[in-house]
Amino acid sequence: MNKNTQENKPVIAVKHLKKAFGKNEVLKDITENVYDGQVICLIGPSGAGKSTFLRCLNLLDKPTDGQVFFDGDELTALDDQHLDQLRQQMGMVFQSFNLFPHKNVLENLKMAPMKVKGLSDQEATQLAEKLLAQVGLADKAEAFPDNLSGGQQQRVAIARALAMNPKVMLFDEPTSALDPEMVGEVLKVMQDLATEGMTMVVVTHEMGFAKNVANQVWFMADGYIQETNKPQEFFAHPQTARAKDFLAKILEA
Amino acid sequence: MKKIWQWLTIMLATILFISSTGSALVQAADNAPAPASDQYLQKVKDKGTLVMGTSPDFPPYEFMAHGKSKIVGMDVAIAQKIAQNMGVKLVIKSMDFDSLLVALQTGKVDMVMAGMSKTAKRAQSVDFSDVYFHGGMYMVIHEADKNKYKTYKDLAGQAVGAQTGSIQYNLVKDQAKKSTLKGMDKITDLILALQTHKVAAVVLDQASAEAYANNTNGLIAVDAKFKIKVPGTAIAFPKGSQSLVNAANQSISEIKAKNLISKKYLPEAGKYMTTGSFKGSKNKKAKSNKSSNSMWAYKDFFVAGLGYTLLISAISVFFGFLLGIIFALMRLSHNKIAHAIGTAYIEFVRGTPLMVQLLFVYFGLGLVVNIPALLSGIIAVSLNSAAYVAEVIRSGINSIPIGQTEASRSLGMSRSTTMKYVILPQAMKNIWPALGNEFISLIKESSIVSVIGVKDLIYQSKIVQADTYRGVMPLVITMILYFIITFGISRLMKHFEGDMSHE
Repeated sequence: MNKNTQENKPVIAVKHLKKAFGKNEVLKDITENVYDGQVICLIGPSGAGKSTFLRCLNLLDKPTDGQVFFDGDELTALDDQHLDQLRQQMGMVFQSFNLFPHKNVLENLKMAPMKVKGLSDQEATQLAEKLLAQVGLADKAEAFPDNLSGGQQQRVAIARALAMNPKVMLFDEPTSALDPEMVGEVLKVMQDLATEGMTMVVVTHEMGFAKNVANQVWFMADGYIQETNKPQEFFAHPQTARAKDFLAKILEA
Repeated sequence: MKKIWQWLTIMLATILFISSTGSALVQAADNAPAPASDQYLQKVKDKGTLVMGTSPDFPPYEFMAHGKSKIVGMDVAIAQKIAQNMGVKLVIKSMDFDSLLVALQTGKVDMVMAGMSKTAKRAQSVDFSDVYFHGGMYMVIHEADKNKYKTYKDLAGQAVGAQTGSIQYNLVKDQAKKSTLKGMDKITDLILALQTHKVAAVVLDQASAEAYANNTNGLIAVDAKFKIKVPGTAIAFPKGSQSLVNAANQSISEIKAKNLISKKYLPEAGKYMTTGSFKGSKNKKAKSNKSSNSMWAYKDFFVAGLGYTLLISAISVFFGFLLGIIFALMRLSHNKIAHAIGTAYIEFVRGTPLMVQLLFVYFGLGLVVNIPALLSGIIAVSLNSAAYVAEVIRSGINSIPIGQTEASRSLGMSRSTTMKYVILPQAMKNIWPALGNEFISLIKESSIVSVIGVKDLIYQSKIVQADTYRGVMPLVITMILYFIITFGISRLMKHFEGDMSHE
């Protein structure tokens, strides 16, 4: 699979991306491609700009400079209306779940397909029930987010993003806010997704997941992507001093 | 800092603009056509009505007929005669005494008859007819004080009441300097103050003083012996309306020639005054026996007032809420113009009294378009409420974590869909109690509309006070009615609050 992806057109192409908050330059100059079917894990020390980079991919944060292409369309040049259309195809999962607390689980899943895609109530319900089964929460359809555990909430959030049938899934530290015993159930769902061939960009501190599931690791520090490599290569033979330093610190802990 | 200066400059410019256009309009009103050749009389004849402005709490001049929502009195009888001679129908608009001359200048009424004294100062801004009645300055005191207070000079060191804006008020201020002057809008309130010993005397014109004293136990009227050449009572017309003044003077001389005032008008007014509660108040026992009944006799007034208060409140809550959402969204908007308008509106309206806003809508905008009092009231209260509701809603929207917006937008939902289905429903739930408070204070504050003569609960309670000469009971009933409405609303809000929170 990896061999021929390089010849395809990238799903996401980032060219000279820069992002600053006021005078604070978070992303300095990033040019990378994401190809169909790839699972990319973005790792690096905190404050490196990983989350900001991810949020620039669907323009939740507007880049200060540079371009982001999705499927050949330049997102950075689109107006709001067209941007909304392309965002549907990029699911996003947040560290803090961000489920809609005033709606139950089923309604959380149904809202966007109905309001944006115009699915009927029945179609949306069928879709939602199928996705809930997929993440192992068929019995929680009527529950409200407040009554679910963190792991369950995050699985609902993944199902909610999948309900829009996205081409790419962006994960922003999806397990960082979870109690340790719940990390596994969420990673399992993500692993299943990867196996099915979903294109994924994952910001994570779960090195095990990066090693076993990713087919590329991007190491980020100081506003640059310092190193990209296959996980085995990266963890065995990090090339840059920053990466060596980072991995050494992780192993200490 | 720069921003603040910009704001101040913009605001100053706005104020200058408004005041310059405003004064232009006032000037236009002042520069009315020259005497005799003016169009005022023709206009009255064309529309077929002569509109009289009055403050019906001044028996025997003008007051509410007992048990009926009809204004009667000597002034009304004279006005009827004038209208009849002109061949038009008389229409009576009632409002606070203080608002009458403004209403005249802004064309809300054709003339003002409210037992108004003809003074040089007033004559600067209006044209007066000939004097149709002369009465001295009297003071109403407790019968027990008969030997104590013989002239106003005996009131040194005491509190003395007078109607705010009246000639008696200035008289007390200028001559009875050793007394403490207490001004109130309504004579009924003044009499109540006297009965409860808040003031030692109330200074009124002779006719009113005797009307009140004769009909209230334990009170008498005596000549206050002020040093004053008592000005007569006359009709006020807009400046430059000589044609109307001439027509009125003709009628007045006819009335004088036939001596209609003392022969016909005053006795007729007296009849209205001596029926109903007046008889009751002459006899203390009968009065106390009838006290619940006598308020019951006025139930129609309270019901009518309740109707207006509910109408104004309901419409204002609806539009206040709707406009509140719009202004809140404008203030939160990324569009600089919308943000500026929203912010300016909210800050301005919250920074000025509702009373002034109401008077501005009724009298100020009245120079451009004629808005009826009820509609003016609804507009002012709605616009005022919108600013407060907007701030409540804005705080509600801001209280929703940014993650909710991000999650919604990342699903491809637009800004407006996100607002409608994700943010506002959650915000509403958070601000529901605050919104309930806002609605309740709107209902209470709507009482201000009585100032421009909207017949709401407060207005009706004042009429009942004036009519029954009982100060406290109408207030108690009004309080209870307001409480029933506001308590009902707060229960209703609680009910919906329960509906909104799942489980």
